[in-house]
Amino acid sequence: MNDNFLIGRSLQTLIALVAVLLIVFFLVRLTGDPAALYLPLDASLEERANFARNHGLDQPIIVQLGEFLSGLMVGDFGQSIRQARPAIDVVLDAYPTTLRLGAVTMVIAMLVAVALGGIAAYRPRSLVDRTAGVLSLFAASVPDFWIAISAITLFAVTLGWLPTSGTGGPAYWVMPVAVLLLRPLGVMIQVVRASMLDALSSAYVKTARAKGVGEHRVIYVHALRNAFLPVLTVAGDQAVAIANGAVIVETVFGWPGIGRVMIDSVQQRDFSVVQAVIIVVAITVFTINLVIDLLYAWLDPRVRP
Amino acid sequence: MRILKMAGLAVATYLVAPGLALAQDGGTVTIVLAEEPSFVEPCEASRSDVGKVLKQNVVETLTQIDPTDGGIAPRLATAWEQVDDLTWRFSLREGVTFHDGAAFDAEAVKHSIDRMMDTSIDCEIRTKFFGGTALEVTPVDELTVDIKTDAPSPILPTMMGTVVIVSPNTAMGEYTRSPVGTGPYTFEAWDVGNSITLSRFDGYWGDMPAVEGAKYIFRSESPVRAAMVAAGEADIAPNISVQDADPAADFSYPNSETTRLRIDTETAPLDDIRIREALNLAVDRSAIKGTILSPDVMLATQLVAPSINGHNPDIVSWGYDVEKARALIAQAKADGTPVDSEIHLIGRTGMFPNSAETMEALQAFFQDAGFNVSLRMVEVGEWLELILKPYAEDRPPILLIDQHDNNNGDAVFTVFNKYHSEGANSTLHDEELDRTIRAAEQATGDERRKLFQKAFSIIEERIIADVMLFHMVGYTRVSERLSFTPDISTNSELPLEKISFK
Repeated sequence: MNDNFLIGRSLQTLIALVAVLLIVFFLVRLTGDPAALYLPLDASLEERANFARNHGLDQPIIVQLGEFLSGLMVGDFGQSIRQARPAIDVVLDAYPTTLRLGAVTMVIAMLVAVALGGIAAYRPRSLVDRTAGVLSLFAASVPDFWIAISAITLFAVTLGWLPTSGTGGPAYWVMPVAVLLLRPLGVMIQVVRASMLDALSSAYVKTARAKGVGEHRVIYVHALRNAFLPVLTVAGDQAVAIANGAVIVETVFGWPGIGRVMIDSVQQRDFSVVQAVIIVVAITVFTINLVIDLLYAWLDPRVRP
Repeated sequence: MRILKMAGLAVATYLVAPGLALAQDGGTVTIVLAEEPSFVEPCEASRSDVGKVLKQNVVETLTQIDPTDGGIAPRLATAWEQVDDLTWRFSLREGVTFHDGAAFDAEAVKHSIDRMMDTSIDCEIRTKFFGGTALEVTPVDELTVDIKTDAPSPILPTMMGTVVIVSPNTAMGEYTRSPVGTGPYTFEAWDVGNSITLSRFDGYWGDMPAVEGAKYIFRSESPVRAAMVAAGEADIAPNISVQDADPAADFSYPNSETTRLRIDTETAPLDDIRIREALNLAVDRSAIKGTILSPDVMLATQLVAPSINGHNPDIVSWGYDVEKARALIAQAKADGTPVDSEIHLIGRTGMFPNSAETMEALQAFFQDAGFNVSLRMVEVGEWLELILKPYAEDRPPILLIDQHDNNNGDAVFTVFNKYHSEGANSTLHDEELDRTIRAAEQATGDERRKLFQKAFSIIEERIIADVMLFHMVGYTRVSERLSFTPDISTNSELPLEKISFK
């Protein structure tokens, strides 16, 4: 593979990241004064001034930006007002939880989508095809929150099969992953199905069959490999969808992940944490997309520069 | 395919990772709270999330406020007396040690109060109760301490019910993540995002509590908290919403919150008292009680509950009389009051369960009486901009939802801030009221109570500054294996010593 391709992509990513940084820095400050949220309603003006001074919020915004950027150069994201510790610690404590949850969900979603979507395409209008259709529609239309609460009531309280919430052994993973899985799975099944249908009716599959290549080989080597490309493309988008879904899932199931950090820090105007969490999430999403681009280039020689 | 196999292996490894057991064993209890404390700094213990874990469990106060009548009882101090106008002398309990072995004495009290009053850290106990006050602490002997204020403070012993005492080894000027106090429980561990653990302190000066230890876990969703007690994963779940509560099994208790609409009396047409009276008469409060809100909420006549010193029992609740409301509006209109101006009714999302539905009902009542009322629900940030001074010069007439919590025994924690012309949340400028509030603050005993009662009479009867709504209730679900009855203080503290096993 061409080195320039990698360098070019990385540079684009870096520019986008800096843009995100600046936008977040200014947007978060438009939401208002953290002192209003942080101090009690009856705090005096003097206490409010104290608070601003203690947290550097009395400085002109351009000075705050300068401090933020120079801090970043040495890996300092500032202090969390809300937790009185470095913002990056708050984020990095929560990061592995979400990464695990997201990775497990993504892998299962891709495997199940390829299996179900593949079968659905191979046997259109079969039971599997129709089930997959209904599942996709269900996944796209039912709110995550409602599914999560209903699942807890049914599986944890009524049946007693699974723990209600929290983190721990395999049983703790079942409901959060299932809820988080639903939406990306629905989309990906349909993408696999459509691209597999295309592949199965393509000239190269017909040629392979005409040459007498075995049906298994036709499907798994010729058709599936090509049908996988669109799945990879939507996987990047779905990674973002999973990061969004994690906000709900982590909130309901009490997982100490980055989704919860995101919600809390925005609501509490904990500027440093909002900045740190967005930078970490942005780097993650950019990295995933970079990897997908590279994989894409590796799988499909036509897009290589 | 090899990549998939490796990914599968990785997934399997994560899934069999050792789990966190939530089983309830013998003498320990699991408490599921709505929010994880942001920090475990004792000088923030007036925040309900911090206080529920630390207050009277890990750290204790000199005096203790009785939530049922606002009276004060000894805790780390055994007696107190006023030495002069500005000075109170506290006698400290003998034989008390901190969890780290340090002795509890006058120097420790001085260290705790000095640390709290140090403005280089944000301590809520200071900003909420002692903003603008100077406290000078002087040890007299080992177990006697004088506390001097810069202005007379007749209720300093009550105020000391809010101040927690920490070990003298707690560093000045920075937050601690391992609080050390004198309470019946030591702070064992904080697994950020997962749990906080407390263990019983064998060297505790008081009676040994039944509960050996407690584990606090955090779930923000009320149905999940309720489900955890139902499934046997937790023992106590405070703050259950009315729609998730089981009225037969769950405890309802006054949660010390009182709701009202703050009337901006400075803007037309709300500057006309007939309009303010009409707003009150237009609301059928009994129709909200037991439908949108719990049947256990109480009609409020003023911003403090009946248990608070200064509550005025003579103020009567507004009846529902829409005809009279219409007549008052007509009168005001005839005199040139712009009664048709749009009144902005503003609610706050998630302020209490069913807050949006409550605001919609209020809007409907006002419209029925003939008011032109628009409703807007705002987030907490925007709400704060509206309730806090300074107010915009060109603001429209606003009815703003407000929910106030006073379980500190005395009306002083309410009246100045909400109604004095210098109060941070006040829209009033009334000389007689200002004088009454200032006099009440300096008074003691019967005179103090009467002055606060007079202030409430001025606010609700002469001025009509609010559309008073309800004293609210909370629901707590308690496991069947425990004896524990939540009360008005459960919102801000949850003393493990009050829990026993059946």
